[in-house]
Amino acid sequence: MSSPAILSPTETQRTPPSLVALVPGVALLFGIGITGKLLHAGLVLLHTRYPRVFIPRIEYVLLAILLGLAIGNTIGVSERFRPGVATYELWLKLGIVLVGARFLLQDVLHIGGLSLLLVAVELLLSLSVMTLLGRIFHLPPKLTSLLAIGSSICGVTAIMAAQGAIEPDEEDTSTAIAAILTLGAIALVTFPAIGHALHMSQQGYGVWAGLAVDNTAESLVTGALYGQDAGRWAILAKTARSSFIGFVVLGYAVYWSSRGLAPDVKHKGIFLWQKFPKFILGFMAISILATAGFFTAGQITSLSNLANWAFLPAFAGVGLRTNLRDLTGQGWRPLIVGILGEVFIALVTLALVYWSYSHGVAR
Amino acid sequence: MAAPLDHASSRLNTRVNIDLVAIALGLALAALIRFNILPSIPF
Repeated sequence: MSSPAILSPTETQRTPPSLVALVPGVALLFGIGITGKLLHAGLVLLHTRYPRVFIPRIEYVLLAILLGLAIGNTIGVSERFRPGVATYELWLKLGIVLVGARFLLQDVLHIGGLSLLLVAVELLLSLSVMTLLGRIFHLPPKLTSLLAIGSSICGVTAIMAAQGAIEPDEEDTSTAIAAILTLGAIALVTFPAIGHALHMSQQGYGVWAGLAVDNTAESLVTGALYGQDAGRWAILAKTARSSFIGFVVLGYAVYWSSRGLAPDVKHKGIFLWQKFPKFILGFMAISILATAGFFTAGQITSLSNLANWAFLPAFAGVGLRTNLRDLTGQGWRPLIVGILGEVFIALVTLALVYWSYSHGVAR
Repeated sequence: MAAPLDHASSRLNTRVNIDLVAIALGLALAALIRFNILPSIPF
């Protein structure tokens, strides 16, 4: 199947694109995001003017994603736009760094620490269940490893981090990434509906989204679709979860290396540092500065607004890269394993979050 | 098999560390706002 939009996972660019080459794609990302915001403002205006007419109030987050989806799955993203569109990850991480200003350090330590604890439980269970499901459905062992890593830690980033360490087939990497992205797209629809049905608080829902949705971008969007506060808490929980990436990938690297099917890991400390998502340090730095009173209240609002501007192109990027034809394109077995595993993870993390809140562990 | 994947594959490249760029940009913007070089930013 050909895709209009996308590169193969190993089709990484070896040379940095020039800044000029990034302009069309970056403009497309911001154009989609801003159009989503304008459409939202238009809907609100119509709603105010014609209160008796039913006008759906769709959030700009969803509008930006839908616009991205429509473009990515119809006309596609031409070669000219791709380098710039790929920067969506940079905008996402910049937004996460800036949104650190909205968190006092004690919140980061409390909810982040709680998340770390919950992540540790989730990790043990999800890695075991995914491995078991992979065996039941006779998936190739390395594909099972990739699915387990992707679903337990942080989606595509974790799979890409594992790619160099356990040397899977290119096909396995593509399949695992496609499955994880597909499941992320499903979460965008299902999680907010479940959150509303259960009347979850913004914080509880956000922590759940951060713990259960794999990819950082999808996790943020799943949170933001429920509310801005939920989006922020999702970021915090997801950030805590992402910090485990090095340990899990290292574990799998050592396992496959012991079987002679992957290279040795010589310097484990360096390996952990290389895999550590360093943007977390930026998030912490801004949070520490905000807690220390470095910014005024107005400046914190400005930083938070800047973060929202940075998230706009990231939302557009999520829509652009989601290929609906790939829902089943990677074959049913990996998808079924992924769905079963993800449902399990979602239920376990939901139970953990409920337990934490009902026992006063979280506030 | 199809590989409709834009994700990490299309991150800028293996040599540019996006995390460090994001941190540098974030801290620079925070400094500009802190010292009132950037005006208040609406959303």
